[in-house]
Amino acid sequence: MMSIVSSRYDIARFGMERFSSSPRQADLMIVSGRLSHKMAAPMRQIYDQMLEPKWVIAMGACASSAGMFNNYAVLQGVDKIVPVDVYVPGCPPRPEALMEGIVRLHEAVNAGVPPAYQIRGVGE
Amino acid sequence: MAFEAVPGLVEPREALGETTLVVDPARLLEAAQHLRDEEGFNFLADIAAADYLGWGHHGVAGYIGTAGGRDINYPGSQGYAKRPDPKPKRFSVSYHLLELSDTPRRVRLQVWLDDGEPIPSVVGIWPTADWHEREAWDMMGIRIEGHPNMRRILMDDDWEGHPLRKDYPIGGEPVRFSEEEA
Amino acid sequence: MSVIERRKVVYEGTRIPTPIPTVLQPNPEEVPLEDLMRINFGPNHPSTHGVLRLVVDLNGEHVVGVSAVIGYLHTGFEKTMEQKTWWKAITYSPRIDYLSFQNNELVFVLATEKLLQLPIPRKATWMRMCMAELNRIHSHLVWLGTGALELGAISLFWYAFRERDLVLDLFEMVTGYRMHTRYFQVGGLAEDIPPGFYAEAWKFVERMPKAVDEYEALLTDNTIWRERTEGVGLLSADDAIALGQSGPMLRASGVNWDLRRNDPYLAYDQVDFDVPVYHEGDVFARYKVHMDEMRQSVRIVAQCLERLEAMQGEPWIADDRKVVLPPREELHTSMESLIHHFKIVTEGFRVPEGEVYQAIESPRGESGCYLVSDGGAKPWRVKFRAPSFAALEATATCMRDAAVADMIAIAASLDPVMGDVDR
Repeated sequence: MMSIVSSRYDIARFGMERFSSSPRQADLMIVSGRLSHKMAAPMRQIYDQMLEPKWVIAMGACASSAGMFNNYAVLQGVDKIVPVDVYVPGCPPRPEALMEGIVRLHEAVNAGVPPAYQIRGVGE
Repeated sequence: MAFEAVPGLVEPREALGETTLVVDPARLLEAAQHLRDEEGFNFLADIAAADYLGWGHHGVAGYIGTAGGRDINYPGSQGYAKRPDPKPKRFSVSYHLLELSDTPRRVRLQVWLDDGEPIPSVVGIWPTADWHEREAWDMMGIRIEGHPNMRRILMDDDWEGHPLRKDYPIGGEPVRFSEEEA
Repeated sequence: MSVIERRKVVYEGTRIPTPIPTVLQPNPEEVPLEDLMRINFGPNHPSTHGVLRLVVDLNGEHVVGVSAVIGYLHTGFEKTMEQKTWWKAITYSPRIDYLSFQNNELVFVLATEKLLQLPIPRKATWMRMCMAELNRIHSHLVWLGTGALELGAISLFWYAFRERDLVLDLFEMVTGYRMHTRYFQVGGLAEDIPPGFYAEAWKFVERMPKAVDEYEALLTDNTIWRERTEGVGLLSADDAIALGQSGPMLRASGVNWDLRRNDPYLAYDQVDFDVPVYHEGDVFARYKVHMDEMRQSVRIVAQCLERLEAMQGEPWIADDRKVVLPPREELHTSMESLIHHFKIVTEGFRVPEGEVYQAIESPRGESGCYLVSDGGAKPWRVKFRAPSFAALEATATCMRDAAVADMIAIAASLDPVMGDVDR
């Protein structure tokens, strides 16, 4: 994910270079990497702090489905606690893969697809 | 490397170029003090706890390879099932020590414990042991006495159980068609 | 002991807090406890490296109490690796310290080979060294980019990541993957080195020292950088050793200790490089150590490339068919190769009974792997000695007399990677 901000892969072409420091000013949450059970509660808190409309990208195999870590410590997929719009596979995903995920999300939003929490009916 | 002067020494073992000093848990602090002050091992690299529950229950055929070639006369090297040597107690705690000097040496200080048997904390000797001992308690349930801040470190504060023990399940989601570990 | 060069007294005595060495507690005689504000710094914070949580007590702008809470990235590597065969377990090791991935693989593979007492062809040894040093450059570049970003020197992030992408291109050329390459096998390397690698690597070797000069030109004489990093986060040599620090933390405090020089593994005793040692024990000294290490790593890579070019055509993996897969052409003609292939793939090779501790100099310090084998196809116990775990134990000592802004600089200079800390 740090590579897409760098000058070679340049996510700024798509207007996504502003990594917000505060969840209250963010639209998109990219969950990158494995999520341990201890971190699950703070992460849900951050998701709750975001204002609607909000989208979630699960980046990587470990965020999508716990990847290779089928054990006691890792949450088996972040979609167990937050509704996910785009799953980006890979371990780790290439920068191009993550950009593809973000661009597809842009296309879906432009086409009028509602955010995942509306589709899955898990509003506030 | 003469280590006869270490207090509480049960046996020194040399294998694969490494020296392991097995000491009596009751005299661990004296041994640690001796190693730091008289022998000069001022750097504690790691405290590794290991659980040997179920050790040797399956016979294994060992492949013994050396730089000179396979030793076919070594027992267990040609497919004969050989059980690994039994361990004295269930848990071992190994302190990996390093002497930071012009003639560096490494040594492993090892104690053997039963479940629930406490050992003293070496935080007073090597302050870096603080977090390593907390991890040993959190992951393996090794009772350490005299630690100033004994709390869980890697798991949640209210987690139950000690995950790295052999009788703790691996957890996660069951996967279809995966073999059951014996 | 000439290893600890006492050329400068950073501070007298010890500053390790008591009674808990890793928790700084406010002194009621110096600050009134009711006036303190306890805030949470993390786990989700743009400036902590990953999911580190620091609980700090603030008296205005000054930190009077700090305690690090970790475990937010605990992945259960060690227990998971016990369930997989030795070959499959190698896949888990690079993801522990995800910025110096080759080094994690290296330590696990070296430990397994030590248990097996397997001789490695020299081409594999030199290539492993080359990849480990390229990984060191990569790790230091990421450290520099993110550290400077946190301190406000934002443009350096893009300069550092420009070269980082070059290193990742080299990895992709050799192994097919940018990160977590899984290129090191028990017995050598997974594949031969592609012929186009040498030309690209030489281009990188010529470019890198100039790039490091660029970074230094931006930062080293910069007043703001010096004000924010000099005299901040002091750690003396004795305290560093007592706290189990290693790597750049130790070398910035005046201890001339580098496992590549003092306890060589692979072929480090056959290459020429210097070990940078600085004596101020502050964040600026750690920065200088990182920059000089990048230059020295480029020197080592250049020497490895020269030797590797002369070794083209040599085997890259050991010949021992009980551990290493036979080449695929042989499977059509040789019955024994077929059986070996079958046994290694289905059951896995068996490693003789024993325990071993292997340590290497990763970019963060001494990275070690303690392996216990019961003679079977799966490891019995794997324990990784994580250098970042020990580095974070020094937060309380380094953050005495720190302001909030200094806290960020110190946390960055400790170079923690949370995957390594929590495993």
